[in-house]
Amino acid sequence: MRAVRLLLGVAGLAAAAYGAWLLRPQLPAAAAWLVAGPVLHDAVVAPLVGLTGLALGRLLPRAARGWVAAGLAVTGTLLLIAIPLVWRPHRAPPNPGLQDRDYVGSLAVWLAALWLGVLLAAIAARYRARRRG
Amino acid sequence: MRVPVPRPEDFRAPAHTPRVTARVGLWLGVAFGLCFATGLLSHFAQHPPGWFTWPTRPVSLYRITQGVHVLSGVAAIPLLLAKLWSVYPRLFVRPPRRPPSLVATHLAERLSVLVLLCAAFFELSTGLFNVAQSYPWRFFFVETHYAVAWIAAGALAVHVAVKLPVARDGFADRPDADRRAFLRTAWAASAVAVLATAGITVPWLRRVSALAWRTAGGPQGLPVNRTAAAAGVQVPADWRLEVVWPGARHAFTLDQLAALPQRTETLPIACVEGWSATARWTGVRIRDLLAATGAPTGRAIRVTSLERAGLYAASTLPAPHAADPLTLLALRVNGEVLDADHGFPCRIIAPSRPGVLQTKWVTRLEILP
Repeated sequence: MRAVRLLLGVAGLAAAAYGAWLLRPQLPAAAAWLVAGPVLHDAVVAPLVGLTGLALGRLLPRAARGWVAAGLAVTGTLLLIAIPLVWRPHRAPPNPGLQDRDYVGSLAVWLAALWLGVLLAAIAARYRARRRG
Repeated sequence: MRVPVPRPEDFRAPAHTPRVTARVGLWLGVAFGLCFATGLLSHFAQHPPGWFTWPTRPVSLYRITQGVHVLSGVAAIPLLLAKLWSVYPRLFVRPPRRPPSLVATHLAERLSVLVLLCAAFFELSTGLFNVAQSYPWRFFFVETHYAVAWIAAGALAVHVAVKLPVARDGFADRPDADRRAFLRTAWAASAVAVLATAGITVPWLRRVSALAWRTAGGPQGLPVNRTAAAAGVQVPADWRLEVVWPGARHAFTLDQLAALPQRTETLPIACVEGWSATARWTGVRIRDLLAATGAPTGRAIRVTSLERAGLYAASTLPAPHAADPLTLLALRVNGEVLDADHGFPCRIIAPSRPGVLQTKWVTRLEILP
């Protein structure tokens, strides 16, 4: 395993150094985008996830918690992916057949179906837990 | 009021254990690996180094590799967040004070993780904005996305090298029910994300995928990546197709091209943004066109568009693609004369090529030496 780790480490350093060398001309313009991800995650996203988890623990019965947490995770993922499509700052000239769906409407349908499923699953889980309990 | 900075042991959710981290990390590694490999292929297909030849078969090759590239990136988004949630407590590990060697390794490891995260978030977020054809930045997307991909791949390899023993121990223990539920949720979020976008390239998902950037619209049933208006193209009344090579020059009117033997081929057009659309193209085989002029064969061809400016106003058709019987100078699509936005009077359509190189509004073919 020592050899594998050494090899991976050296190859990784070389690849990253090559990337950094390629990046040089674009670095000043790209710096803010490079730093934004970890900062937004560590300072905003992760604390929000933690606080939501704490709140779920206080507000929901144990059997329902997992389903609601899963529903929130899927909802968050879909909302993140929707941001560029709905917002589209500095967009290209309009192209027929591309980016011309009603994203808000179709996402609302998906989320409604998702939360209906979460609700049913949570009720079923609660019912089973009670019968057992 | 002072908010106390938490310590790693303050986090007690089931996800915060190497058993979970190792498993999510493996899936994330697979997604990033696929994304990096297919991204490299796409880069080479568009900027081929001398030793590289992009094959002409299967005709859907680029459609598949670029679909995998974009969808593995989408799949990685919830996996990255799940992975980071699993290790979030480690952010609050207090650095050691001494000995200096321990301080140095601690800092080096933190730095390598920071580089990995900067690169990973950068690749996923800029990729997502790019497929939405939204460019809220001042750097050049292609160059920067490519450079940072190398940094991400390199930093990931270093990270795996550092963490391999921890990951091995993590895999040795079976996660309990709560931890398995967390892993299932990460999986499910990833699968739903793919399902919500895969309609860009999977036909039966076209109407289902809520967040697919390609829709069923577009003239003649095909999406357009750059309209004639956006490209500033106006076809002059005296338009001719020139076929040139050293010492010879032939010119064809549209009627003359239409009088040559016409072939119909079903080929996909597959874009770097991951979407694809299959159509029936009708036109003159490039091979037949060259034979009709007596042009040298087995050579690459420089294809020039009426489009004046822009990165893709010209492309080079490699020799294998130029000689391929499926490669057409298309005059019609799905039974109709090409729409202005699809490249009227004629466009290149070749098997297994990035869409940006399927040059539209062609005005000149130059046989390269």
